[in-house]
Amino acid sequence: MKTNIFAWFFVLSFPFLAGAQVEDKIVGPGGKRFPVAVSPLKNLGTNTADSARLSTGIADAMVHDLELSGWFRVLDRSAYIENAQSSGITLGTFDLKDWATIGAEGLVKGGFTIQGDEVTVELRLFDVYQNKERIGKRYTGRVRDFRRIAHKFVDEIINQFTGIPGIFNTRIAYVSNSGGRFKEIYLSHLDGSEKFQVTDNHTINLSPDWSPDGRSILYSSFKDRSQTLYLFDLDSGKEIKFTPRGGGRYLGGKFSPDGQTIVVTLESAGNTNLYLLDRSGNVIRQVTENPGIEVSPSWSPDGKQIVFVSDRSGSPQLYILDLQSGKTRRLTYSGSYNTSPEWSPKGDRIVYTGRVGSRFAVFTMSVDGGEPRKLTSESSDSEDPTWSPDGRFIAFSSNRAGKYHLYVMQASGDNQRRLTGSGGDDTKPSWSPRLN
Amino acid sequence: MTASFRMACYIFMAGITLIGGACAPSATGKTDSAASGAAGARQPGGDQRAGEGQRGKTGESDADKSSLKQLQEGKSAATAASSPLKDVFFEFDRYDLTSDARTILRANADWLKSNSSTRVEIEGHCDERGTNEYNLALGAKRAQAAREFLSTLGIPADRLSTISYGEEIPVCREQSESCWKQNRRARFVIVQGRSTS
Repeated sequence: MKTNIFAWFFVLSFPFLAGAQVEDKIVGPGGKRFPVAVSPLKNLGTNTADSARLSTGIADAMVHDLELSGWFRVLDRSAYIENAQSSGITLGTFDLKDWATIGAEGLVKGGFTIQGDEVTVELRLFDVYQNKERIGKRYTGRVRDFRRIAHKFVDEIINQFTGIPGIFNTRIAYVSNSGGRFKEIYLSHLDGSEKFQVTDNHTINLSPDWSPDGRSILYSSFKDRSQTLYLFDLDSGKEIKFTPRGGGRYLGGKFSPDGQTIVVTLESAGNTNLYLLDRSGNVIRQVTENPGIEVSPSWSPDGKQIVFVSDRSGSPQLYILDLQSGKTRRLTYSGSYNTSPEWSPKGDRIVYTGRVGSRFAVFTMSVDGGEPRKLTSESSDSEDPTWSPDGRFIAFSSNRAGKYHLYVMQASGDNQRRLTGSGGDDTKPSWSPRLN
Repeated sequence: MTASFRMACYIFMAGITLIGGACAPSATGKTDSAASGAAGARQPGGDQRAGEGQRGKTGESDADKSSLKQLQEGKSAATAASSPLKDVFFEFDRYDLTSDARTILRANADWLKSNSSTRVEIEGHCDERGTNEYNLALGAKRAQAAREFLSTLGIPADRLSTISYGEEIPVCREQSESCWKQNRRARFVIVQGRSTS
């Protein structure tokens, strides 16, 4: 099944790969990946202090993304024959045989010019066998944001191969205690760059969620002693505090896909229920009314349904609420502990954390119910899954290397790779929408 | 943790407070060093604190501080041996009161009746397993269960407030059932009208 989908994508969208050969080379039984070379970039301007750093830095960022996608095998740079600074970057100004010889079928080359704190970068993708340029792009940005340019170009490469842009120009919000004993909210790109600390209040901050425009972070905090929600604006650094009118505490919340509504968990007198708020924190209406625990809501992409966790059956299980009819149906029946659901951006599946024996693993399940698919091993704990904006990847936290770190995998569970290593526990990832 | 030490903790869970008093603070000391680098209860000067708690004549003993305050001050959130109000413990993913928990709550209610000017904040806590938000809700259930039982024993509800810290402020940081069971607790913090006797 998986093989066919990939083969279909690759054949359809990358025309210079043909027929049966494609299946063999990219998605053969050995899990082979498309072999690509990423040359260090050529400095097209005068040498500055940043030149060498950018030449390899942009290439390194692209290598990271291509490997993380699971669809490419990036050939080791030490095998490259030509000198990146003396050879050309357009077709006919370098020798493609130098790349065919080492087994590259795709080749990324580029050049850059630094002017003050601005950099202009040209990047190209070549088909080594067909002797053709497939993508050519020019980007201008701040020197210190050079990795973003690399992420954007890899998103183009993935678009070329699969018909859907990649998701590497995104960030992940997460909770970490790396700064000491407190839990604070951080943001970083998938390669760990441009780390930004959202909170620094020396208490406990939890459950970060991105607004769909990528400009604000909703999170819960104990910073004013009683736990409630805060909406932090990334541009201005200002934030709004959400205070429940009738008492109680907001434990967490999630933006609706259109960004206009927030579904929150309100705890009052021991009971938790879901409410809808507007962006200013005013209550629109209560949507569950149950004496038990009702937490961890997540919206369907059309904004019409909400998947959430309830203990109404005696153990935490997933339920789906239809907002218009008010009807609720139970989704999970296997396992005694199923939590932290997130609805996929494609709408067809829900990812969640389930207990297996004494461990926790990441599962996905069709929204119609059916057999859950376990994606992570129960030899350690894997929790808090979040979808990439294209629904083709899942980030999660796992203690497989001792402390909790963030990992990313394909939605099939393949190609699990570690993203963070802050020294503390990194948990509760929330994947941003695509950024500009 | 040595076997005899662990035994002492089990006895503490059963509510025999004489031995338990010695167990709780040292349990924290032990796990702090074991889990170096983890967030939370690293605590220079922790021993000195325990001493202050025992003096307990006036005001600020550790027993009177919220777990969040303890965390901020870099101290263990374990209830001090000198506290007149003892923790009650819960089974995994449960918030119903065990018979041991009811025994402790009756003793707590007796103290609250003879110290009628006190107000108490009941903290609900969970072990680390499961998701943060579910555990915040579960902790709220635990605190509320303790509150309702104290109310049925005649403690006015307006003397009892609740807060949940979920799994966020454990007293023990090892990954074992003996540790987790210490964390699944309701804790009682005297927020007003402390006893000066």
